[in-house]
Amino acid sequence: MIRYLDGRPVPPPSRLRFLAFGLAVVLGAGALSARLFAIQVAGTTPYTALAAGTRTVTEAMPSTRGVIFDRDGRALVSNTASYSVKIRPSDLPESRRTEVVNALAALIGMDPADINVALDSNPGSRYDPVRVAQDVEPEVAGFIAESKSQLPGVEVVVETRRSYELGALVSQVLGYTGPISGEELADLKDKGYQPDDMLGRAGVEATYESLLRGEYGLQTVERDAAGRPIQVLRTDRPPVAGSSLRLTIDVKEQRLAEKAMRWGMRAAGLKRGVVIVMNPQTGEVIAMVSLPSYDNNVFGEGISPAEYKKLLNDPEKPLVNHAISDQYPPGSTYKLVAGTGVLADGKITASTRIRTAGYLSLGGFKFRDWNGAGFGLCNIYCGFGHSSDTFFYQAAAMLGIDRHAYWGKQYGFGAPTQVDLPAEASGVVPSNKWKQDTMGLPIYPGEVYLAGIGQGYVAVTPLQLLNAYCALANGGTLYKPHVVGEIIGPDGTVTKVEPEVLHKVDASQNVLRIMRRAGRNMVVIRHTYNLVDLPIVIAGKTGTAQFGTPDRRGVLPFHSWFAGFVPKDPYKKASDPHGWKAVQRTDSELAVLVLAYDSGTLGNAATEIAKYYFQLHFDIKKDYRNPHLLKRGNFYGMR
Amino acid sequence: MSIVSARGSRPNHWTAARVSVVWRNFDLQLMTYAALLLAFGLAMAYSNTATAGLGVFDGGSVFLRALMWTAIAVAVFLVAAAFDYHWLKTFAWPLYLVQLGLLVVTLAIGGGVGGTSRWVSVFGLQFQFSELAKVLMIVVLANYLGSRMGRLGSIWAIAGAGILAGPPFLLVLLQPDLGTALVFGAILVTTLFMSGASLRWLVVLAAGAIAAFPFVWTYVLADYQKARLTSFLDPLADIQGSGYQLYQAQIAVGSGGWFGKGLTNGAQNAMGLLPVQDTDFVFAILAEEVGFIGACVVLLLFVALLWRVLVAGWRSKDPFGTIFACGVGAMLLFQVFVNVGMVIGIMPITGIPLPFISHGGASLISIALALGILQSINIRQGRAKW
Repeated sequence: MIRYLDGRPVPPPSRLRFLAFGLAVVLGAGALSARLFAIQVAGTTPYTALAAGTRTVTEAMPSTRGVIFDRDGRALVSNTASYSVKIRPSDLPESRRTEVVNALAALIGMDPADINVALDSNPGSRYDPVRVAQDVEPEVAGFIAESKSQLPGVEVVVETRRSYELGALVSQVLGYTGPISGEELADLKDKGYQPDDMLGRAGVEATYESLLRGEYGLQTVERDAAGRPIQVLRTDRPPVAGSSLRLTIDVKEQRLAEKAMRWGMRAAGLKRGVVIVMNPQTGEVIAMVSLPSYDNNVFGEGISPAEYKKLLNDPEKPLVNHAISDQYPPGSTYKLVAGTGVLADGKITASTRIRTAGYLSLGGFKFRDWNGAGFGLCNIYCGFGHSSDTFFYQAAAMLGIDRHAYWGKQYGFGAPTQVDLPAEASGVVPSNKWKQDTMGLPIYPGEVYLAGIGQGYVAVTPLQLLNAYCALANGGTLYKPHVVGEIIGPDGTVTKVEPEVLHKVDASQNVLRIMRRAGRNMVVIRHTYNLVDLPIVIAGKTGTAQFGTPDRRGVLPFHSWFAGFVPKDPYKKASDPHGWKAVQRTDSELAVLVLAYDSGTLGNAATEIAKYYFQLHFDIKKDYRNPHLLKRGNFYGMR
Repeated sequence: MSIVSARGSRPNHWTAARVSVVWRNFDLQLMTYAALLLAFGLAMAYSNTATAGLGVFDGGSVFLRALMWTAIAVAVFLVAAAFDYHWLKTFAWPLYLVQLGLLVVTLAIGGGVGGTSRWVSVFGLQFQFSELAKVLMIVVLANYLGSRMGRLGSIWAIAGAGILAGPPFLLVLLQPDLGTALVFGAILVTTLFMSGASLRWLVVLAAGAIAAFPFVWTYVLADYQKARLTSFLDPLADIQGSGYQLYQAQIAVGSGGWFGKGLTNGAQNAMGLLPVQDTDFVFAILAEEVGFIGACVVLLLFVALLWRVLVAGWRSKDPFGTIFACGVGAMLLFQVFVNVGMVIGIMPITGIPLPFISHGGASLISIALALGILQSINIRQGRAKW
């Protein structure tokens, strides 16, 4: 008998309860082995088929992305088969991640950090493969595919990638495709986008994404227990190939425009520039050059975060299409607005002469003309031709800011042109309402003056400005600019993109004719030096727009602009030696805009560049360029 | 008539008197079964290491670590067996404080995956103190209940044991480690039951616990815990999330067949498809590689081991020994059933290691300690006669 210290007997353990415990052990082990038998031997559980190693899954079948041609049918982009390396995070044990990522990085020749970034920013779930490298060498791809056990979770797949034939020449228009982000995936999942999908990121690749992409199909695939595909069982829905696009861009003209711009940039030491060529009769964009550019093939090949960062942080913003996405003060080119306005509103007629001077005084400030002596009494031809600032200060004042804004909007300023390219800026047309809304202040009289010469708050995109001159050239029709001319469906049906009219400029044909003649006058009176000597008739307007902060001598940096057009059959005739009759017509099919960004040159750099483009376009053998005007120097006069 | 002190026993023999007595009472069977299970564990460690593409003896390999822990465990077992277990009764209260201290330290400085604090680094090795706490809990409960055998008919004894087990349970729950907390619960309930606590009250409390379940489900459990607890019912419903491990585990088990694919040949093992294949889901790989027969051998070894544990408890003349053995038995049975049940899809996912087979130093050493103490209890039954 066992007792406690206090003499109580210690009861013996309960036989019944020990038996119960023993029973629990036996029942527990029995239940476990019964279930094991069911799974492993009898195969009666729902997972038997899985255990045997196969299951069927439905997965997306990519469609063939549409290709893009230039105006003449030259292919600008093609789909190239290439090897991509993907990682399925769920199949990569966390304990081996560093080792696998480093080994993979060494094989492909990329930075392990980039692979980690790709893995960590994976928009899908852990079971969706993440693309970590594109365009991998076939030998490397083969080696990776055979090293399954050393590289768990790593897969090699054949994918098509975009290969851009001309790279940087048309990259601003074409854009590129890039991997889908998590937020985009949330929006686009319903449209059949996959977590490792690509979509258009810039240019027409972005605007025409849904057309180019087509529709993904669905197929049922048999996979083994490890998730590797064994065979395709059936196609549930065949993919529909994307449509192809034929651009209005003419690669020949694009090359000429770029050549002219590059010459100007080299000669004048410019860092940025824009050339746009359009057909005023249709709104078709024939060339659109924005320099510096970038090679969009680096995106097709899979850009590394470091390369991408470098492009993003470049001060000249090569990824930005400066022709549409940046807005600049238009300077004297904007005098078109006040000139048209005062004529159309009947404030002046073509013969009304306004006194110009070295400066106008207003509220204690001197508003100077670029010509310190002024031009004396001056009509619209004289004022526009010489680009007299004091003339247009007064013209704007006659209109008042709101009427001036009205005419600005008539020419399409202050609103996107709705060109079929992404990320278009809308520009600024100052008015009382605009200033009240944005700054809570009224417009001051001096700001009305500045608006008249395209300074102050006025901001335009190069495409807006050219579109305005196109409207001038074609007799007042403001078209929606477009870069895609035809859409070619997967079955070969061609849909033409018809010219779309935004609106008609609210000015009489007479007023527009006067303005075209005024634009011609600028050339004729040699405001643009020897531009008049070319065998073709050119009309337009130059501009010098100050921006930014003054240099040490108090001189502001400036852009120079040229916007102009040539009539159809532009060659000078003996019957019309100065082209006065030619510019009365509204049949122009060629309008050109040049923006020379930060061009501190002796002469107007944009005009020289435009001149060179005209020489190249019309194959004019004689060279009229004035390289001395492109020397850097304190040009501070001609507008 | 023998007197067994409920507290303050004053052992004066550090070892048993005669080697022959020791040998007669030393349970060789228990040690054999444990050694065989240990061998299975090492084989799985070897298999996991080999298929991971590492050299088996490369530094830091799972196998090398398992060997090291095995050596330590054997030492712990021998020391615990040689140690007079009566001292545990003397120091039961300080040991309780040590247990709470370990758990508090774990919460304070512990690390873990995803914001949990489950282990503490000791000399660069991750050590899960809660494993050790389980054994200390058994000691404390065996001491408390053992000194009250025959007076456990009231609710107060049950309440007292519950109050003792409460703080460690909550501290583990805070880590958060639902699985280990449930092991504490299993130990408490089993030791109460086996020490003769009022069955009526136990039933009432069990009914209460079931009634409180909806409340706990709604307010206490985190979403991920709920997902894990329910996904075993239908792993395919959430195959991309919590059902994934389970799904892969069952594929592994199912592909084992009668005899398995042989060590290191498991496809699921080689593919690294199971996220925790060397710890909580090791049984899946075991079943895949040694098949139904091998898995049954392992289960039988566990049953045999439990038998020897219960026999030790039954034979102990000291109520402490009886209840200690039952506590150890409860811990082993619960862990084996829940872990294996989880792998084969009849229990929820709770993250409880499989004794001997799952690779974790703390788990192995705690079991070695528990079995060592059990041997000490076996050896020292004849003490009154000396």
